[in-house]
Amino acid sequence: MAEHVTLQKKARGERPQYFADPAIDKTLAITLALAGEVAVLRDRIDTIERLAEAGVAPTRAAVDAYKPDSAVRAERDAWRDTYLDTVLRIIHQEREELEQRAADTKPYAAVIEEVVAGG
Amino acid sequence: MTATQDLTTQFRHGVLPQTTSDEFSRQEFVKSLKFHLASKVSLGNHDAYEARAKPAYTKATGAEPQTYAEIRKAMSEDPYFAFWSAMQRNSQEMMWKSVQIPVERQLPDLIAAAGKGAAAEGTLRLNPDLEIPKYHRGVDIHCMPGGYHTEFTADDVANGAVYDTAVYIYAMGRMGPLNSDIGDTTIAWIKENHPDFKPRRILDMGCTVGHSTLSYCDAFPDAEVYGIDVGAPVLRYAHARAQSMGKPVHFSQQNAESTDFEDGFFDLIVSHILVHETSNAAMRRIMKECNRLLTPGGLVVHAETPPYRDLPAYDAFMLDWDTRNNNEPYWGASHELVATEIAAETGFDPAKAFEAYQPSAFEATERRTKVFQGGDFGGGGAWWLWGVQK
Repeated sequence: MAEHVTLQKKARGERPQYFADPAIDKTLAITLALAGEVAVLRDRIDTIERLAEAGVAPTRAAVDAYKPDSAVRAERDAWRDTYLDTVLRIIHQEREELEQRAADTKPYAAVIEEVVAGG
Repeated sequence: MTATQDLTTQFRHGVLPQTTSDEFSRQEFVKSLKFHLASKVSLGNHDAYEARAKPAYTKATGAEPQTYAEIRKAMSEDPYFAFWSAMQRNSQEMMWKSVQIPVERQLPDLIAAAGKGAAAEGTLRLNPDLEIPKYHRGVDIHCMPGGYHTEFTADDVANGAVYDTAVYIYAMGRMGPLNSDIGDTTIAWIKENHPDFKPRRILDMGCTVGHSTLSYCDAFPDAEVYGIDVGAPVLRYAHARAQSMGKPVHFSQQNAESTDFEDGFFDLIVSHILVHETSNAAMRRIMKECNRLLTPGGLVVHAETPPYRDLPAYDAFMLDWDTRNNNEPYWGASHELVATEIAAETGFDPAKAFEAYQPSAFEATERRTKVFQGGDFGGGGAWWLWGVQK
């Protein structure tokens, strides 16, 4: 077994700070990473179920070696999109509110034009 | 590639890192997060701009924001934009992490696999004394830890493997199983606009792992294909990848600003998303070098995302996100380049310069947002090509 090589973890260059308190930047990073790990676990359960359904013993080796085909990948893509709708609820809520406010800033004449143009 | 090739996953060539099911799921999550942000969250920035940032800016300054820089100023304090930016930056960092995990685990195997010869007659020439340009040493471009050139062990291929896997996630698969869309699209433009062009030798500058380079082997089977890059790990990986796929390419470690090829050696010089990773001075030196390397009648074509002047100011602002948030210091300035001006400055005839758009060669209609915006690479469905004929 060759020597284990550790790769560089941080990209050189100053990381932008997005919030007034740097602790919020870190907390968001951890939250998103956790959201990712939940999705990984969910895929693992899905793999176990699929192996069991196919009559394959869901051993660690069988689960680790599982390669989802394109149909399974598409199902998982769809699940993750719904999952992200749920996890990012507060963002989507704000987006909906902003959408409403942005529409209200539009002059009424512009709405007439849009409707007449078929939009 | 055969007709049965799965177009919805990355092509398994001889040195693509293996993933356990968990490792693959982690990468798939990043891909989903990126697509979710691009298709469902990013558009809220426009509403935030219309609903509060623009009115606030107009009230404060007495005039509506006109340029993308003014829109950036208007949006700089907007909380929705800040949160989206923070998530976008995280998706980028999570992407690198998700591909580093399997590469770190199997690096000795990857190095061993890369060392094995294969069918094709390609070559690899490295230069350990090559000075890595300042614009690659200053920051790690697009937040890839170590950039293209850092070596973590002897005969290292790590960042070649990391980059190859990450590009597929970054483009969300929309550049095809071989990440070759930029090359394929550039080739389509060349064939449509220069149907009788038969290059004898082709150079791909800043080729990294050869995503675009290999397409030229198929498109111009009678030509010799060369690829150069400053990074040894990406070139070792590129060579192994090309060999495993039976594509003969001559890779060498060189700086495109000054190469060791003879005058007039090439008929066609191309680059794919190289320009924005250089600098204003380097870009001009590269074009002078292209002038020296091209035979009369030869063609240089650079592929990039659109210049800001071609976009509505708001879209340009969104495309410019990478300049300040994704370690792409030359992204913004490179999107102001004018082909005729560069041609005139670098000894070419400006009348023979061109700028063009070419629709993406790879069909991924259902996953394209049709917008050029930060964090949505390959989503626009077209590439901007510029260059000049000698």
